[in-house]
Amino acid sequence: MTAFAQPPRTAHVIHSDAEAIAVAHKLAARFAVEASVRDRERRLPVAELDEFSASGLWGITVPKEYGGAGVSYVTVAEVIKIISAADSSLGQIPQNHLGVLDILLQTATEEQKRYYFGKVLQGYRFGNAFSESKSKNAGAFETRIRFDTDTAQIDGEKFYCTGALFAHIVPAVAVNEQNQAFIAFIERDNPGLTVIDSWDGFGQRTTASGGVTLNAVKVPLSAVIPAHKAFDEPTADGPISQIIQAAVDTGIAVGALEETKRYARESRPWIDSGQDHGWQDPFSIAAIGELEWRVHGTEAILKKAGQAIDAALLNANEDTVAHTSVVVAQAKVLSAEIALLASSKLFELAGTRSVLGKHNLDRHWRNARTHTLHDPARWKYHLIGNYLLNGVKPARHAWN
Amino acid sequence: MNALTQPIVAEQPLAKSQHDLHNARSLLDATLRFVRQQSKTTDDPFVISRFGDVHIRIEVAAALLERAQEFLNRHEDDSEISVAIAESHLASAQALSTVSDAEFELTGQRTVLPGSLQDPLRWKLHLIGNFRLNGIRPVQLA
Repeated sequence: MTAFAQPPRTAHVIHSDAEAIAVAHKLAARFAVEASVRDRERRLPVAELDEFSASGLWGITVPKEYGGAGVSYVTVAEVIKIISAADSSLGQIPQNHLGVLDILLQTATEEQKRYYFGKVLQGYRFGNAFSESKSKNAGAFETRIRFDTDTAQIDGEKFYCTGALFAHIVPAVAVNEQNQAFIAFIERDNPGLTVIDSWDGFGQRTTASGGVTLNAVKVPLSAVIPAHKAFDEPTADGPISQIIQAAVDTGIAVGALEETKRYARESRPWIDSGQDHGWQDPFSIAAIGELEWRVHGTEAILKKAGQAIDAALLNANEDTVAHTSVVVAQAKVLSAEIALLASSKLFELAGTRSVLGKHNLDRHWRNARTHTLHDPARWKYHLIGNYLLNGVKPARHAWN
Repeated sequence: MNALTQPIVAEQPLAKSQHDLHNARSLLDATLRFVRQQSKTTDDPFVISRFGDVHIRIEVAAALLERAQEFLNRHEDDSEISVAIAESHLASAQALSTVSDAEFELTGQRTVLPGSLQDPLRWKLHLIGNFRLNGIRPVQLA
């Protein structure tokens, strides 16, 4: 298992938003080449991830005062979208790494920030051991942390641990006796930490989002942060987790729409249309038009969500964080909707030949259906409506 | 007459979007006011989420209107501008029709706000699709 997490290569340090976008485009073009093969064979993207983190993209949110680029969240969303359009599994893997960087910023000591931000700039990857499949709901944790004089011990069982298999350090969420959540940064080879490659979902197949067991794992106190403070007080951490979700789904939609156009161009004309080519079909053309404006509408709202997060980071209070949650929820609804629509319309507009196994085009729909299940869009309509109609501020947690 | 044969007025290419978006927002406000007077309705999860849906469509229309305006200000390629304007028209029209349906469903009334029949949306979809799928440029602005 440890074979997956090679010691990090020296990572490039990205210095600006524009550089981050340019690097993302360059990487995405390379990742796109074998994305379908990796999905078909469930070949984990070990070499690609090394290239991804060595590019510096995993460190772009490290603030300038700690040596990073401190890019805007408009840029973060754009980067994740670009990578996800090429390979949405690769786009999803840094999701929790980026979320954890903000929790570090919000809740860690100065010394911890210097240490962990430094590691990230060197190319270290954080995985995650957050969610639990057996707890009452997504926000409930049964994994326990017990503090001694100079160490903490963590015991529990995690699932949906995207990135853990490939990580150098696995941040794990555990609660104390007062049910307050902490995050412990556990070295990948720490005794008692076991990462299980058990993810066999039909979509996002190469994320290795399997299980982690924590059996009397001991870490020094310096490796623990009081993560609950990121939600006790109003911070943008929930929206930051969510915008990355929405960016992955927007990327899936963009990738599916590109494939739709490529294959629709080659489709046969319908027998009753009197036309020579499939691309002349007025109904197909209009259907492409429909997908286009919906994709652009989603991208425009994703950008608004990034801007709202940037504003909330500068001025975090109950109102700015509530507003940000609402805008990010809009991005979440729209991206889930268009990812599913585009990846399904693909077949309608490209025709029966597009379902042949050799094309593996179903991966877009499988990825869209799987990734959009992270949290239900139906509750986002409710969150947005409740804020608008009743002035109720969204609950603060990692899913809002 | 359609979007291909009827040039968009060069000076006010986004007037239609602004008009529809304005009406959509007014209608949403009126519907919110009505529903807030019915004490039990404001707790109904389906009514609440219906407003969420309406709000999303309005925000998309506003964002695409802003995007089209930016394309105009930056003097983007003419075809890109035409397509961005068409996308903005579609989004505003959809926002208006979504809020209009919600008004009828939640208040039992329907405010009549006719859109323009001279400029059918179905041909805007075609204009966008034909450019993106086939590279056929829309008829340019005057």
